[in-house]
Amino acid sequence: MTEEKKDILLPEKFTIENVPFLLNKIKELKKDVNIEIDFENVERFDSSAIAFLNHLKTNYENISFKNITSEFNKILGMFHTNEDIEHDLQIITPRKRFEHIANRFLKLRSNFKKYILLLSDEIYYTILYIFNRKGVYPGEISNQMYDIGFKSSPILCLISFLVGVTISITTLDQLNNFGADIYIADIVGFGMIRELIPLMTGIILAGKIGASITAEISSMKVLEEVDAIKTMGLVPEQFLMVPRLIAITLAVPLLIAIADVIGILGGVIIAKLFSGIQPSAFFREMLVTVDLKDFFIGLGKTMVFGWTVVITAGYKGFSVEKGAVEIGNATTDSVVLSISLIIVLDCLFALLLY
Amino acid sequence: MEEIIRTEDLCAGYEGSVVLKELNFIINKGEITVILGKSGCGKSTILKTIIGLIPPISGDIYFYKKKMDYLSESSVNNLYRRIGVLFQNNALLNSLNLYDNVSIPIKMHYPELQKEIEKEMVFSTLSQVGLLKSYNKFPSQLSGGMRKRAALARSMILDPDIIFCDEPTTGLDPITAHGLDELMLNLKNIFGITLVVVTHELRSIEKISDKVIVLKDGAVHFSGKYDKLFTLNDSFINKFFLKE
Ligand SMILES: Nc1ncnc2c1ncn2[C@@H]1O[C@H](COP(=O)(O)OP(=O)(O)OP(=O)(O)O)[C@@H](O)[C@H]1O
Ligand SMILES: [Mg+2]
Repeated sequence: MTEEKKDILLPEKFTIENVPFLLNKIKELKKDVNIEIDFENVERFDSSAIAFLNHLKTNYENISFKNITSEFNKILGMFHTNEDIEHDLQIITPRKRFEHIANRFLKLRSNFKKYILLLSDEIYYTILYIFNRKGVYPGEISNQMYDIGFKSSPILCLISFLVGVTISITTLDQLNNFGADIYIADIVGFGMIRELIPLMTGIILAGKIGASITAEISSMKVLEEVDAIKTMGLVPEQFLMVPRLIAITLAVPLLIAIADVIGILGGVIIAKLFSGIQPSAFFREMLVTVDLKDFFIGLGKTMVFGWTVVITAGYKGFSVEKGAVEIGNATTDSVVLSISLIIVLDCLFALLLY
Repeated sequence: MEEIIRTEDLCAGYEGSVVLKELNFIINKGEITVILGKSGCGKSTILKTIIGLIPPISGDIYFYKKKMDYLSESSVNNLYRRIGVLFQNNALLNSLNLYDNVSIPIKMHYPELQKEIEKEMVFSTLSQVGLLKSYNKFPSQLSGGMRKRAALARSMILDPDIIFCDEPTTGLDPITAHGLDELMLNLKNIFGITLVVVTHELRSIEKISDKVIVLKDGAVHFSGKYDKLFTLNDSFINKFFLKE
């Protein structure tokens, strides 16, 4: 068999625009063809050209160079990396995807552990603070109360009112069929105070307070502020979290009181408008079934939801390591996790208090 | 000598604060121009103004003798295709590993380039900055100096006409810094790349600079060849170079 010979004349501009074409041309030629690459015309080259030539040198045996200047040859040697490196540089292969998902399940356990550890840390630091009043930036608690309590009250009022209205309209329709309109008072009073207001408050806190706590802590982490806090001899889990926990503990009773009043007001208005029930009759009926204990149960539940939101937010915030992208992810994760936990806890409460 | 960038009565700064006034200087093609000055005197501001990240307050900038219009998308895109920038704070994308960070310009501008050539280019560039072994690490797993070098690798991957480096060797040990200086000289000598470098490292100024621009009190204090610096007997310059 005679060996074929093939000349490839390089273009004047031996640059990245032409390299893909040249490589394709070489790939098309058969393996047993001897290729000679002619540098005669080359006037300009760039680093992709050098990469291209080095690639040919290491991966093709049937290639030789013609009219190459000694200077060029020297440069080639200078830029070649002899070290062996794995080829596999695909960004995400399906296999890696699966590994990733599997790892996430494996990580669940250690995450749960971290969550519980943070929770117990926070309980410890909060109790510690109550007794020795140290480790928290002065004025931070009232700042946080403003942020947590005051800023979330308008939306909470609006939502409790609308929930009160909606609930009464829907149930009133059914009660009407039995001529039992007046029992609307029991349903609204009991349902709102014990169940709906705590749940709605928890969810609003998760969306508004939890998200902002996570975003704040995680960006502090990324900007090395948390490290700075540590190097000043402070404990970030205490310095950042205790004020928020105390603030939410103080804010929740107020929020709940307001929300209960406004929610029931919604019910009263609908009862009057749709069924002509006098407000005095409404309250007299309501107080037959609802007493102070129900208010405290609702309050207690909301308190637990609030703590859950803050701890979850802190947990997600402190878990951020790498950078800006993670802040966004942590924030959404924090809201989703808080809401899920709130609903799970609510269900547990319902079973316990049945 | 062909000019690549020229400023005409350029006034640079931020909203409400003028940092630099009436700048007139020329950056020649194929030269390394070093910008000097005290911390906070506006070196980074000049670079950011030239590359269009902050709008000039007044005056003009010419790129290849054409007046830059930073409001025109095509004008800015043309600029960005032909420059590389090494930011003072690295500006690597944290969600991508080193290899992917460095290959972004290739992937975005030349998607048709074969992966094997891309690989060769990226690895060659990474080995030039001494980061070959860390190619699959994420920016958060790199030291400050390593991030600097990675950012330099990214800025040079497409052989831009001109590379702007904001303090490329600050915070590096003398040996690595020396290597980077060599690298910049190579870029100039082999690929004819123009470099504009902000640096405080006296050794590296001496070694790489063709031309020096000294800023003082919001204006150009000196602009010319490195050798000419010391014939002036200027007390600020002498202080800067520890000769006084
Ligand atoms: N985003 C900004 N807004 C307003 N003023 C700014 C901004 N960034 C910088 N400055 C001001 O502009 C001036 C010049 O800053 P610049 O970052 O250019 O300094 P520099 O010479 O690069 O200093 P260094 O050597 O420390 O990096 C400083 O006085 C600084 O306070
Ligand atoms: Mg600077």
